[in-house]
Order: sequence, then C-alpha cells, then structure tokens
Amino acid sequence: MSESLLVLPLLVAVLTVAAAAFDAVLGASAAGVPGAWRAWDAPLRETARLLVRQRRSTLAADRLLRRAGVLVLPVAAVLAAAVLPLGGARAASDMSVGIVWFNAMEVAVWAGVWLAGWGVNSAYPLVGGYRMIAQGLAYELPHMFALITVAVGAESLRFSDVVTAQHDLWFAVQMPVAFLVYLLSALAMAFWGPMSSPVGADLAGGAAAELSGADRLVFSAGRHAMLAVAAAAAVPLFLGGGAGPLLPAWLWALLKTLAVLAVLVWTAHRLPVLRMDRFMTFAWTALIPATLLQLLVTGLVAL
Amino acid sequence: MGLRARLLRYAAGRPRPLVVAVPGFTGVRLAVEADLRRRGWRPALAPAEADLLIVCGRPGPDLARAIDTVWDQMPSPRARADAPTASDVPSALDAASAHLADEPAQLEDAAQRASYTPETSMDHSTMDHGDMDHGDMDHSAMGHGDMDHGAMGHEGHESMDHEAMGHESMGHEAMGHEGHGGHGGHGGGHDHHMMGAPHGLAMADRAPDRDGLKLDVLHVPFGPVLADWPAGLKVTFTLQGDVVQAAEVEHLAGDAGAGRFWDGTNVVAARLDALARLLAVAGWTGQAAQARVLRDQALDGKVEKARLEKFVRRTRRSRTLRWMLQDVGLGETNAWTRASGWLAEIGGETRPDTSAATPPLGELLVGLDVAAARLLVAALDPDTEGAVAEHV
Repeated sequence: MSESLLVLPLLVAVLTVAAAAFDAVLGASAAGVPGAWRAWDAPLRETARLLVRQRRSTLAADRLLRRAGVLVLPVAAVLAAAVLPLGGARAASDMSVGIVWFNAMEVAVWAGVWLAGWGVNSAYPLVGGYRMIAQGLAYELPHMFALITVAVGAESLRFSDVVTAQHDLWFAVQMPVAFLVYLLSALAMAFWGPMSSPVGADLAGGAAAELSGADRLVFSAGRHAMLAVAAAAAVPLFLGGGAGPLLPAWLWALLKTLAVLAVLVWTAHRLPVLRMDRFMTFAWTALIPATLLQLLVTGLVAL
Repeated sequence: MGLRARLLRYAAGRPRPLVVAVPGFTGVRLAVEADLRRRGWRPALAPAEADLLIVCGRPGPDLARAIDTVWDQMPSPRARADAPTASDVPSALDAASAHLADEPAQLEDAAQRASYTPETSMDHSTMDHGDMDHGDMDHSAMGHGDMDHGAMGHEGHESMDHEAMGHESMGHEAMGHEGHGGHGGHGGGHDHHMMGAPHGLAMADRAPDRDGLKLDVLHVPFGPVLADWPAGLKVTFTLQGDVVQAAEVEHLAGDAGAGRFWDGTNVVAARLDALARLLAVAGWTGQAAQARVLRDQALDGKVEKARLEKFVRRTRRSRTLRWMLQDVGLGETNAWTRASGWLAEIGGETRPDTSAATPPLGELLVGLDVAAARLLVAALDPDTEGAVAEHV
C-alpha cells in the first residue's frame, strides 16, 4: 500500500474527464459545429445537468440490481487501475497475479451492464444487456489469449515484471497481433465506438436508455473511466511502461496513456458499430486462431 | 443564487433535446437539426436522457397523444419546444433553454406533475399479495391502478388468460404483454408463477423460438418517437430475445397543410438525408454528421464539391459498413446496394435502376434481430411523408 492508493481515483477521474472532453470536441467538429473546441466543457455541463435531474422510475424495476449494476462500472475501473504501475512509481497494489485481477475487473463490467439493463424492466435496456453478454462471448477469448501472450513473454503475471521484460523491445513490436487484439478489446471493455452496441443508438441508448439523473451520471462516468483505464493498461502491457528518453518515467507513462486514449476515442467517430452476430463469427474464426498463433510464436521465443 | 440554480443555469447552456419528426413537416425538422448544430446541442436518444422535447411541426391526434406520453416520461427539469413552422425554431429553442434555467418554474412544474413519480428513497410501498413477497416497488408514470390480486390467487388452474394490458404505446416502453397461458400442475399452495399480474402487468407470454427453446415473448413498439427513425412510423415488434418474430406496421399522421418537401427537385439532399439516418443507425456518428452538413449545403445550393466527393469516397470504401449492411436483405437488393445506389446519385453518377419491388416492411423484418431490423428500416426508408390526418 502506498500513497498511490489515494492518488489513483483522482488520476482515473482526470483521465475520464479528458476522454469525455476530447470525445465532445471530436463530435462537435464532425457535426460542423462552429468553434468545435468550445465543446470541451460539454462533460462538465452534462454532469451539472444530471446532478439536478430527477431519477426515472420504471414500472416494477428491480432497484437494487439496477443500482448495483450502475455502481459496478466506476468501482471496477478504479480497482482495475490499482494493479497498474504509474510510470516510475509502484502500483497501488503490485500483486503477483495482476493481469488476472485486471481481467476479472473487466469482466465485472459485463455484469454491471447486464444488471443495469435487466434491472430497469424495460425492453430496450434488456436487449442492450443481451448484447453486452454476446459481445463478451465474442471478444473475451481473443482478449485472454492476448493477455496470456504478454504473460508468457514476461514469464510473469505481475505488471511490474511485464514492464521490466520490455527493457529491450516493446511487446507492441514483439507481439503485434496481441497488441491489436488488446486495442479492440479495450474498446469492448468500455463498450465504446465500434463495440458500443450494448448502448447503441439503434436501441435509443440500450442498457442506459432508462437511466436518468445520478444513475446516468455514474454509469456514463464509469464507462469513460473504464476506457481510460483500458488505455492506461496498454502502456505497461505493450508500450514499455514509463521507458523513454529525457523525460521522467511518470510523464512518459502519462503521455503514452493519453496517446492510446486519443486513438480509442477517435476510433469511435471513424467506424460504424459492429453487429454482434457478424462480429462473433469473425472473432471465433479469425481472431482466436490469430491470437493462438501469436501465443505459439511467443512461447517458442520464450523457450 | 443557490447551488441548484447555478447548476440549472450552467446545464441549460447545453441541453440534450429529443427531436420528434412529424410526417409532412420535414422542413421544420431540417431547420431544427441545423439550429441544434449551430448551438452545439447534442440530440438525445431517449426520453430519460433528454431534458428538452422538440416537436417539429403539427402532429395529428394519434401522434400528439404519443408525444404527450413521452413528454410525461421525461424527468424534471424539462422543457418543451413546439415549432409549427421552420421560422419558429430559433425563438422556440431560446425560450426552452430559458425555461430550463428558470429554477422557480422548474420546481413548480416538478411539484405539479401528477402522472410522473420520480424515484425517492421513501417510496417503499409494499403491496399485499397474499403469501408472495414482491418486495419494494415503484409505480411508474403510467397510471396503473392497483389491481385486485386477491382474485387471482386460485390454486392450480390450467390456464390464466389475462387480457393484454391497454398501455398507450409510447416508443420506449415494453410492457404490452399479452396473455399468460397454461401453467400446468401447480402442486398446491402458492407457486412463484402464481403471482398473476404483479404491478398490474400480465406476465410475458412464452412460446418456442427459432431454436425450439421456450422464450418470453415481448411486444415492443419502435417509434413513433425515436431518433433516426422515419417520421410517424410505428412498428410493434413481437420479440423473443432480440429476434423479431412478427412486426405490425402503423403510420401516425401529421396534421394536414404542409406540402411535400422532397419533391424531386433536390435529389442529392434527399439522398443525403436518408443516408444520414442509415449511418446514424449503423453507429457511424461522424459520417452521419457529415451527411447532414452536406445535406444542408445542398439545400442552400452551395455544396462544397471536394467535401462531397470525399464523403462519397469514404462511405463507399468502408469495409466495415459493407460488412454490417450486405446481409440485410430488402427483397432482391440489400441494404448495402441500396446505400451504394444513394451514393451514386449523390456523386452525380447515373441513376441506378430502382424499379426492383420490395416486399412489405412487416414481412421483411421477421426473423431479424433488432440491430438488423433497424438497419433495414433505415435502408428501406419508407415514405411516410404522405400520411396526413383526416380532420374530424
């Protein structure tokens, strides 16, 4: 335990707001809003708007499940961030099974979305919940093979060991397929951009369609936080952690995180949403063999 | 000024409007979309998300009722802007934003709302259902009286046939369940299935699905108040899971008076409008926004040629879009060929042959999942403009 335990939620919050602000500016710019950069404060106004708003109650809603589901998102994001090394500083909890812990927190998000979608007792959110589970089935196996490849390359499940193992060559270069699959699953963890069908526009907001006021605020903040944490995890996993010339390690880690985050946010504006029935086939017939092959190659090198 | 008033004022600078398209008033919708873009207000997708309801034109009686239901469902603070003509749009939106910032008016509105029950922590009404413990529950805005559950506490009857609840259809609710057939063999005493109509709702019906599994059947209305959806269209899906088993199509009309907006003189703008809806439903938000900007430019007759060409090229080249659209069948064509045809027309190429007849919408939708069904409706882009209410 260290002081990073106190800093951590704050760091996640800052990255969350940064992601939301960048997303708002990109959206305004694509929509041709004059002076698009002025949209940077959209997340702050949205927060103010949701804070003074009534909650919406649907008939026969399961309030406990809904609240639990909504709350899982930010909690899982912060807990997942707890195992990430912050540049030069130690992680809040540099546990020996850090990669497994990270993966477990990310799967908790599925439960959160499903419970929130189920709990409000309305058809659109329910279908959104179905889609989250389908999405999980599609991306989770390739994602786990990508993480296992990293663990094999580093011969450890501890994040700090993974960073040390990239002293000579970043894993993004050593195992490019795993890196690309990880970026895709980073989008899926936060059901963002091309992987956002659980909260899709075609379902009037899907799992979030009936959320209002504080519920929507926590749900949305948790989702942005998960995206930020997924981007931050890419740095120790594939981009050498805080390694870099001249600048201090923490600054390198921050810069790399922001770069990955920017790419993820930008992707959302440049790609259509993937339909899960289509993506499922692709994931199981193309991504799983590709990641297995990557794992085999990495395993042979590690031997 | 208190904290709440400050937050209201700050938030009112960027409200999230739910835009309701009305058949026959396309011009008003386009004016609203352009004005929202100028102000930087991002449209909402659902009543729960929105704090501003914008009605583009004069709805007919049925559509007006549906809109009122949606208005009832919106949590406070809220504002409504009715714009009967395009020239009313700026002033209506200004007034709505001012109303959202007005703390006393919002408090009064919230206090006077009879039909909307916001969730409060005190609301623990435990109803007495005999032996069954339903826990805490909230009654929502839909005015269900408490039903007499005592009458349903019979033991071991073979089939309980509850009538479909007569909910006014409302775009975003999914509660029009129909009867509740055959519970065979309750072994005496109260069974969980015996709760009959909890909260005044009949239980969902069950039927075998396409894989032979018993699944709940839900009757879910899409439209008439739904983002990126043809004006006034209402399709009631019979869903199992997210697969459409049947679809019933209705048209809710606008009030008479307005002429036809897309009269064939501005094909490029009309196709860009349809394409914007399709791209938005496909989740390609950036490209959908581009299409709307170009559409408004085309209507003003000053379209940027290079930008239009870039738009056409990028849309056509998108492998992901093609992958998502090409299995959505429209009879002889599919959603991708349809979109490609529009792109060809926008790019000024020869008009493709559009004579291929498409089967009725209700038939095409059966067997698709909701995502494909939404793409299909957007690609088919049924003409709802002509629907006009008959004056009584």
